[in-house]
Amino acid sequence: MKKLTITQRKKVKGYLFISPWLVGLVLFFLLPFIQSLRLSFSKITKYAGFHMKWIGLDNYAKAFLWDVTFLPMFGTVVKDTFVNTIMIVVFSLLIAILVNKKIRFRGFFRGAFFLPVLLGTGYVMEQLLGINAEGPAMEMARGIAIPEEFMRYLDPVVVSVLSGFLNRITYVLWKSGVQIILFLAGLQGISSSLYEAARVDSATEWEMFWKITLPMISPVILLNVIYTIIDSFTDTSNPIVDYVLDIGFTKSQFEYSAAISWLYFIFVLFVCGIVYFMMRNKVYDTSKK
Amino acid sequence: MIGKVISPAAAIGRKGKKVVRRVASVRRWADLILRLAIYILLFDLAFVFLYPFILMVVNSLKSPKDLLDITVKIIPTSFYWKNYKIAFSSLNYAGAAKNSLVITALTTLGHILACSMIAYGFARFRFPGREFFFLIVLFSVIVPIQVLIFPYYMQFSKWGWLNTYLPLIVPTFFGFGLRGGLYIFIFRQFFMGLPNELEEAATIDGCGAFRTYWSIVLPISRASTLVVGVLSMVWHWNDCFEPGIYLTKQKLWPVPINIPNMYATLKALSSGQTDEFLMEGEVLFNEGIVFAGTFMVILPILVIYLILQRQFMEGIEHTGIVG
Repeated sequence: MKKLTITQRKKVKGYLFISPWLVGLVLFFLLPFIQSLRLSFSKITKYAGFHMKWIGLDNYAKAFLWDVTFLPMFGTVVKDTFVNTIMIVVFSLLIAILVNKKIRFRGFFRGAFFLPVLLGTGYVMEQLLGINAEGPAMEMARGIAIPEEFMRYLDPVVVSVLSGFLNRITYVLWKSGVQIILFLAGLQGISSSLYEAARVDSATEWEMFWKITLPMISPVILLNVIYTIIDSFTDTSNPIVDYVLDIGFTKSQFEYSAAISWLYFIFVLFVCGIVYFMMRNKVYDTSKK
Repeated sequence: MIGKVISPAAAIGRKGKKVVRRVASVRRWADLILRLAIYILLFDLAFVFLYPFILMVVNSLKSPKDLLDITVKIIPTSFYWKNYKIAFSSLNYAGAAKNSLVITALTTLGHILACSMIAYGFARFRFPGREFFFLIVLFSVIVPIQVLIFPYYMQFSKWGWLNTYLPLIVPTFFGFGLRGGLYIFIFRQFFMGLPNELEEAATIDGCGAFRTYWSIVLPISRASTLVVGVLSMVWHWNDCFEPGIYLTKQKLWPVPINIPNMYATLKALSSGQTDEFLMEGEVLFNEGIVFAGTFMVILPILVIYLILQRQFMEGIEHTGIVG
């Protein structure tokens, strides 16, 4: 066998190292992926061997025309995600900046803010957040911002908006654990010499935030926005997820469920793509290797 | 900060030391107030974060009488451990915990071994299609599991893997499984940040590629291994989606899936005739038991997290995912 050059050997070794992944790619990703696509376009004829019959776009049409609950649910989910994502990213950035200042107990705060990530999947979270009646946000609001009595005098629309906002806060804050950590890591990557130079040039805190902090962590902002979108879309407390499961396993309509999940997926991809391209030009990339 | 920054040197020139002292003391007050405000804000936020958790722990220790008593909020009148006993058995904790342990340990092992090796390939070797395949890795993280879950079910049932742990564990050894792509990403960023000198020295000394990876690079990668390990453990322990789909035999269930089951068990018990419980009403509306159960579900993870917390945080900063 002819001896390979170093470059060629490197190529072979590269492939060898990722070979498990390549195998897994076919077995656990491509095959199911394509199957799922096929499934969404067909109808299962026999359950025993999962034989299928191609019926074209029928399932998709069903989602839009026949199913009454799908579209409104979809709309609600999209709206919720939109609002939640913005709130999560903004809040986590603020919290990360606060925690990053020179304060004691920093470790405690980091730990506290990351805690919901540990606890927060599935049933556990449902339990913990199902205590909305005396929700913590209401407690906080009661103590600090808006006394309950005062709320009685407000216009009911205002009250509903406000309480909706406050109810969301717990949920939003609980979902922002990972983002806070990422922002913290990003903030600590900004070299302090930049800030010192700015101080010498008599910049105020506000200016320093906009001109130094924000640009330097813009890659992290992009990362967090995309991560948040994906996270909220694959969250189990997401009604669409429930719906997909319900149709698929409870009502045994695998093919319809596949179609819905594909619609959902394309939408997620679309949103992520938009976000990425919109923000690409505004992200200041410091580490082009 | 209030006003512009006046360097002490500039102030001295004008009116001597008096101005310097006054400016300095005003700034000190402003600083103090600012810091106080920050502390208050952070504690409030931490409170909101921790409140459901505290509520859970506290409620799990309340006796039924306490639960109905509105005046008893944060401090139960006595520590009512019975909730835990009941929760323990209705969760089938002993058996389920063993299952959870097996699943979590094996999947985490699979992830650490496979994802680091795969990431090393992506980080250190140039081969055609490298960028393309890595994009697919990222893509695999974005795809929601629901898209794949039905084919998975069909596929695994064809292979006879249903009601075993195989569907959960085997994919992790190939770099897939729950958020496998994310771990590949983390490891790759880390490896790309390591200086080449170490590996070059190893090559000069005659190490093959795999030996370099195994004996030199891996031992240095404690930071990223820790991050991946903790994330994988936490997410796998809490995962009730995939196990819920593949496992129908109850004795195979990991711990979190048993929670909704608790309701069923409790209901059965309350309408049943066991005199293990004092009063019938005790079992019916006892959120305390549910909270106790939930707490027991997360307890092991909590312990591990508290022990590893600082290293975990530092690990994230060092893996170079950010910046």
